[in-house]
Amino acid sequence: MTSNAVSETGGFSARVCKNGAYGFASSAAYTPESVAQAVAAAAENANFLDQREKLGKAPFAKVPSFREELRYKREDDVTQKHIIDYMTELDALVAKLCPKLKSRFVAARCLTMEKLLYTSDGVYAHTSTPRSIIYFGLTAEGNDGAPVEIFEPVGTFGVFDEVFSTPSEHEKKIAEVYEMVLQKAQGVYAEPGRKQVILHADLAGILAHEAVGHTVEADFVLSGSVGGPNLGKQVASELVTMVDFAHTAFGKRCPVPVYVDDEGTPGTDAVLIENGILKEFMHNKESAAHFGQTPRGNARAYAYNDEPLIRMRNTCILPGKDKLEDMIASIDDGYYFIKTGNGQADATGEFMFGVNFGYEIKKGKLGRPLKDTTIAGVAFDVLKTVDMVSDDLSWSCSGMCGKKQMIPVGMGGPALRVFVNVGGR
Amino acid sequence: MDNRQVAEYLIQTMKEKGADMGECRVSSSVKTEIYYESGKISMVRSVLGASVGVKVIKDKKKGAVHINSTEKEALDKAVNDAFAAAAHAKPDDAEGIADVVVTERFEKGPKEPDRDALYTAMRTFIDDVKREYPKISFDSISVEHDYGETVYLNTNGVCLTDCSGVNGYGAMFMAVDGGKSSSFNHFGSLFTEFSKPLIDLGMARIILGETERQIETRNLQGKFEGDLLIAPNCLQSFLHYLQSNFLADMVHIDGTSLWKDALGTQVAVPEFTLSCRPRDSRMAVNQFFTGDGYIAEDMNVIENGVLKNFTLSRYGAAKTGKARSANTGGFFVVEPGTKTVDELVSSISKGLLINRFSGGQPGANGDFTGVAKNSFLIKNGQVSDAVSEVMVSGNLAGMLKNITGISVETVNDGNSILPWLKVSGIVISGK
Repeated sequence: MTSNAVSETGGFSARVCKNGAYGFASSAAYTPESVAQAVAAAAENANFLDQREKLGKAPFAKVPSFREELRYKREDDVTQKHIIDYMTELDALVAKLCPKLKSRFVAARCLTMEKLLYTSDGVYAHTSTPRSIIYFGLTAEGNDGAPVEIFEPVGTFGVFDEVFSTPSEHEKKIAEVYEMVLQKAQGVYAEPGRKQVILHADLAGILAHEAVGHTVEADFVLSGSVGGPNLGKQVASELVTMVDFAHTAFGKRCPVPVYVDDEGTPGTDAVLIENGILKEFMHNKESAAHFGQTPRGNARAYAYNDEPLIRMRNTCILPGKDKLEDMIASIDDGYYFIKTGNGQADATGEFMFGVNFGYEIKKGKLGRPLKDTTIAGVAFDVLKTVDMVSDDLSWSCSGMCGKKQMIPVGMGGPALRVFVNVGGR
Repeated sequence: MDNRQVAEYLIQTMKEKGADMGECRVSSSVKTEIYYESGKISMVRSVLGASVGVKVIKDKKKGAVHINSTEKEALDKAVNDAFAAAAHAKPDDAEGIADVVVTERFEKGPKEPDRDALYTAMRTFIDDVKREYPKISFDSISVEHDYGETVYLNTNGVCLTDCSGVNGYGAMFMAVDGGKSSSFNHFGSLFTEFSKPLIDLGMARIILGETERQIETRNLQGKFEGDLLIAPNCLQSFLHYLQSNFLADMVHIDGTSLWKDALGTQVAVPEFTLSCRPRDSRMAVNQFFTGDGYIAEDMNVIENGVLKNFTLSRYGAAKTGKARSANTGGFFVVEPGTKTVDELVSSISKGLLINRFSGGQPGANGDFTGVAKNSFLIKNGQVSDAVSEVMVSGNLAGMLKNITGISVETVNDGNSILPWLKVSGIVISGK
């Protein structure tokens, strides 16, 4: 065991808006004196900026006050011993089930964000969002002697012992990942170029988040992202509908439910693309007023000392009607990309994802496994090539989005048949 | 209680409760930030921070807790929680604490924020860019001052204090013209004094000018093997990959570093010298002591192409039986070469000037593939069109043996000093 750590941080922040100029101040100390000081400092910061920039903006329209009471409560916490014992047993299980590995790791990361919010409009909200994730990292020796690895997160909303019961529940997943890493050890490099491929549901989720979602966050739109000039236009195939769910999707709680955002706006779903048409952006109060759209609860702050930024919540491409096996069978010469490690996107919609596992598809059949590669494209161009959408859905619950601050996000989607650019040798 | 008193209280409490060894790190910080977004200077932000890290070792078992309160009740709970965590941990012979007993205090940079200077620097920067680079559209700009006081204490008697302040700025932007836009680009720099306009720091002018020329891009067809001219800001990303893939604790503990047995061997061309220099006075920020309580020293990682050091902490060293490194990495300095950037460009018949690599962490074998962002085609010794949807593939370790040029010019961004690097044998592919 190389890490055994607990971190608990808390504090207080105040944000003041004066004529469009924001002042923000925070303190780790949570005493009446420090609260008073932070409020005064926030007001003073707003004054400082207002006097110099003279933005002269009118206040936001007052919204009705409401109370959001705590929906998730847990009096006790899981002990470190419980987690250590579970992970020790899990590691032994990995060692037993995966004898040919060169190295392995298992890690647990649990994060609970609890917030109290008061606004001058009279909104009170008390929220708690726990998330527990276990990570498997399996490394095997490749056919060239160099190590190859696969990294797999599992978990969702909830405290550790609510999400995970016994280590043996992961046997199937461990066997699946082990088989992948052994196959990858014998893998080949993808052939670079533009290819028709099947993106596994996990890649569709990251496509929704990275490649499309960021370009339709209103702050990026205001700075010139490709989303701006495309509002109301066809940006994807008619098979594509994409929603940023607030807290509930398909009758179930989302991985990162946001019932009220950190400006006091109730969380409602943002339908970003409907049947291929770009319908709306994601907003905070200020950008919603600017564009004349409705804020839906996308202003989110990570820590007590962070200001709310426009962020995604649970971004998802909705499932279609095709069967995955039919989609694979339909490809003559392409790839089935299954696992992704990370992704980045651009204001232009140009994106890249690392692909950590996949197969060739030759004449409708899965072929040789692949070594690591990267896929790239321009989001709206790629989405226009979507001509098959699977009827299943997979949520990725371990996402952390970085945009000035980190924040947990959910990403979901079905499998897609698309054309993308494939990197390789 | 001040930070030193908090630290002493924690060490005393750990001893009283029977710790075999213990250490703590107590910090307080003040951040003052001016922030620009959505077309205006939008916010002034003041953040008072606190951080308390406690590590207890009992019967070779470690427990670690981090909190951000210095209230006595919270400190007592943190120590108790650390003991509880240690009680459930597994014994590990490699656990320990810094054993070079020393008391030292370090100071650097401006202690107090100058809010007016921060604001003026931001306003001047926006106006300068608007006048000189009118196609630039900012997503965000942050100009800030950070001051922190950190005390490290352990039960062996090590006592280290760092009081450092620094100013810095970062900008994220694109170029927009007639409904077309470039890719996002960004840069930042750290500095101690407001001695120059922000636009004159680091690579700001180069990157702003290049971004305006990236509105119009071209795709490449097919693939070829060519040269990469890696700009300093992009080189920094590759060096971080190099550190985490081949030099840092984890890849030596799990044995996946390709360089695990390569100390003293040639891993790069003889012209390449890479050092980690946390104490380099040319940098705006320094790291005076490591996270595990040793005074940090500058060290060569690769000297004339020969691997001289890893970046192992005390724990990483004890766990692997290797030597603890003089620092734990970062603060990269690559020694300059003999040719100008223009001469390096002239020597490339076909390749890319790469300013940003958008790709994932390379695999354990060092293979990388990613998109060349904010980059230009180089053809027949000339920088040509900006490119889009172009991918580059290579191998981190292999790349160091294929360095064919290092620029005489370097860029100091406040925490690294890097040249342009030319490498050959990179697969460059388009559609």
